[in-house]
Amino acid sequence: MLIRFLKNVFLVDLLKGMWLTLKYTPQPAFTFQYPAERRPTAPRFRGVLRLQTEPATGAQTCIVCDQCAKACPDDLIALGGHREPGQKIKILDYFDFNLSRCSFCGLCAEVCPTKPIKALIMSEDYELGSYSRDTQILRVDQMYDGVPIEQYTR
Amino acid sequence: MGLIDHQFEDNFITTSIDRVLNWARESSIWPMGFGLACCAIEMMAASASRYDIARFGAEVFRASPRQSDLMIVAGTVTKKMAPVLRRLYDQMPEPKWVISMGSCSNAGGPFPTYSVLQGVDKVVPVDVYVSGCPPRPEALLYGLMRLQDKIRKEGTVLRKERTIMSGDSEPTMNTDRVV
Repeated sequence: MLIRFLKNVFLVDLLKGMWLTLKYTPQPAFTFQYPAERRPTAPRFRGVLRLQTEPATGAQTCIVCDQCAKACPDDLIALGGHREPGQKIKILDYFDFNLSRCSFCGLCAEVCPTKPIKALIMSEDYELGSYSRDTQILRVDQMYDGVPIEQYTR
Repeated sequence: MGLIDHQFEDNFITTSIDRVLNWARESSIWPMGFGLACCAIEMMAASASRYDIARFGAEVFRASPRQSDLMIVAGTVTKKMAPVLRRLYDQMPEPKWVISMGSCSNAGGPFPTYSVLQGVDKVVPVDVYVSGCPPRPEALLYGLMRLQDKIRKEGTVLRKERTIMSGDSEPTMNTDRVV
């Protein structure tokens, strides 16, 4: 009885709690300072869809086989090309990818048959933000080197 | 701010006021917790200590639309929910912005059905579309930074009226498929 009274008077339980808080205080912060510091993505992370060129020559790797467009469950890819007399593969004319609906399932990149360099990959880019619906359809030039950051003008 | 909105011509005083007001607005955007589906989980993760949306001054998720500046529409908007969403948007006080988070609220996502609203921009004017399914917490923070850029360049005193996107103005893809 007396002990409990003294505990209440000297706020022992409160001090115990505060001591626990104090023990965690000198630890380094748990927070990622995101724009400065970036968390590495998981090895099989699926970001936005990208077309790849051959690294040595910069030549086109896509053979316009339309497999990705057929594999897409939501019909978000439309591509087309034409043949030229001298060349073996078709030349890619347009590659439209509707980012706004994409659920990043990766089926399109999975069926891409080109070897050894896969033409269509799920890249590691996840910073996707745009000011309008029009820029959410990526055209062929944007598919090669990233989504450009759109500038907002008054 | 309703008193001075759309009242003055563009001059030195109004542009200086713009800068101060925009600084105040961009650095304390109070979002309304409007989580509808799985994107809400990422929104919660963004507000937790790992990513800490409080670093951008947007940590106070209000439960009431009267106290919030930003509506983060996180998740699938069904047609039954759409009038509620519009009503909540109308209840927000005037400097207000909307972030559409994730594929579902951007364009309907993988649900082109009778019951799902095909893009939240049919109901409210959207400022920033964040793509992803769901977007990572970083992507939401990136969208928030894009919104801050937009607010910085906005005319506070000479603010333009925003319009809702109509269904016809949706962007289209090439359709002549060559196989």
